[in-house]
Amino acid sequence: MSEVPTIAEAARQLARRAISPVELTRAMQQRIERLDPAINAFILQTPERALADASAAETRFMAGAPLGPLDGIPIAHKDIYNTAGIRTTAHSRLLADNVPDADATTVAKLRAAGTVMLGKLATHEFAIGGPDFALPWPPARNPWNREHVTAGSSSGTGAAVAAGMILGGTGSDTGGSIRGPAAFCGVAGIKPTYGRCSRAGVLPLTYSMDHTGPLAWTVEDCALLLQAMAGHDAADPASANRPVPDFTAGLRRGVAGLRIGLVRHFHETDQKVNPAVQQAIDRAVAVYRDQGAEIREVTLPSLFEFQACGFLILVTEAFALHEPWMRTRRAEYGRTMAARVSYGGLISGADYVQALRRRRELCAAVAHAMEDVDLLLTAAAATEATPFLPEPTGPQLDKPGFYIPFNVTGQPAMTVCGGFGEGGLPVGIQLAAKPFAEPLLLRAAHAFEAVTPWRERRPLL
Amino acid sequence: MKARTTEADFAALIRHAGISPSEQQIAELYEGWAWIEQMLERLRGPSPRPREAEPAHVFVPLAVVEDGR
Repeated sequence: MSEVPTIAEAARQLARRAISPVELTRAMQQRIERLDPAINAFILQTPERALADASAAETRFMAGAPLGPLDGIPIAHKDIYNTAGIRTTAHSRLLADNVPDADATTVAKLRAAGTVMLGKLATHEFAIGGPDFALPWPPARNPWNREHVTAGSSSGTGAAVAAGMILGGTGSDTGGSIRGPAAFCGVAGIKPTYGRCSRAGVLPLTYSMDHTGPLAWTVEDCALLLQAMAGHDAADPASANRPVPDFTAGLRRGVAGLRIGLVRHFHETDQKVNPAVQQAIDRAVAVYRDQGAEIREVTLPSLFEFQACGFLILVTEAFALHEPWMRTRRAEYGRTMAARVSYGGLISGADYVQALRRRRELCAAVAHAMEDVDLLLTAAAATEATPFLPEPTGPQLDKPGFYIPFNVTGQPAMTVCGGFGEGGLPVGIQLAAKPFAEPLLLRAAHAFEAVTPWRERRPLL
Repeated sequence: MKARTTEADFAALIRHAGISPSEQQIAELYEGWAWIEQMLERLRGPSPRPREAEPAHVFVPLAVVEDGR
């Protein structure tokens, strides 16, 4: 078994009893002890809980009754996911002592699948404010170059997966917070369709743009985690009441005959990307063509349209959520969080409604543009991970991102490693599918990953 | 890029929101406000939307596929 296995590899080794759940967990804990002081992916480790989970898994394996492919697999949760009896802080001093009574639905589902909880992971404050060194816990650092950011807000999850401290983890995505860290940390991350995975028990940033989902080293591992996380939940009013397909069954079917829409204007006109990112996109196009997919040019509304709609919905809903504390305890928020969410208090109700009207228009425009394609291919970020800045900054409002279109439309999207830039930092590519077409999305992402060498390269730590 | 809202009017928006950033924080927020104004103009559009243009009240993704092909 490689030093850091994938979830799929570990599952095979556990099934063959080549390694036990307790041995695997202890190996991860040793990696965390050695590596995390320089990476700060964890806000809280839960060693006793981890060993208890691992021991329970071991008992099941010894009885010949493992729960499934995730039984005994060490993971961790973004620290906005409620974990019963275990501190959940949203990386904020405002919740420094918050201990929930109950697990988030997705935490409970992953626990029921047999995963081993290693701890709680760093996040941007309340999933929006970061990176910020003035918070009670330091921000996570990029394992590929620790002077560089991870992107956020699932910063700890991206870093911990890339560093091999966990085999997979939970994230959330309101404007790119799973896909951004996946791209900057060179791992796989999927934002499923809105409503595919429950938001219940996950501290919200917004109501209508939040998505929960996994990050892991490979697409297959994301599929395994998503299988456990997905499903209708009456506790989440936005939960989609649809059957959950098998996300892994068709993973290796390839892309021959699929129609992939390249949204070229996103990265050549709307928000120009650097040469490394351009190369990754060009490489993805070539790979898909070689594999028998048809590449078509697709035009969507500009990134600035999605930014205007998505950002204003995001900050307005976020402000509504934080309004009581923003009015009475604003100084206790981190500077970045306070600045970003403050804008939401300045937007009128009428303008929020206009944003919602625009949202319906944008959904229709993307649906129309996708009538003759199965998937979209876009850039993930304009550059590799950027260096930390000495002072936290406000949002880069002049630079629209590539992720938020698919939070506005709610369709599933994921990023995978598309290569590396000059400084050895990873670059990602993004794929998006039609609503509830996660199996197709995962299949296409896996097809790219399987024929590229990027999964063989880990950060040198 | 400079905001069209005056600093005095921006301060009024801040007061209306009921938040109390420092003078420096208000200045930083004001710097970004020009971009927000641009976003608001985009959303309001060059001409009014027809009355039938409904908001996404209950967010339901469009163009759903049945079998996830």
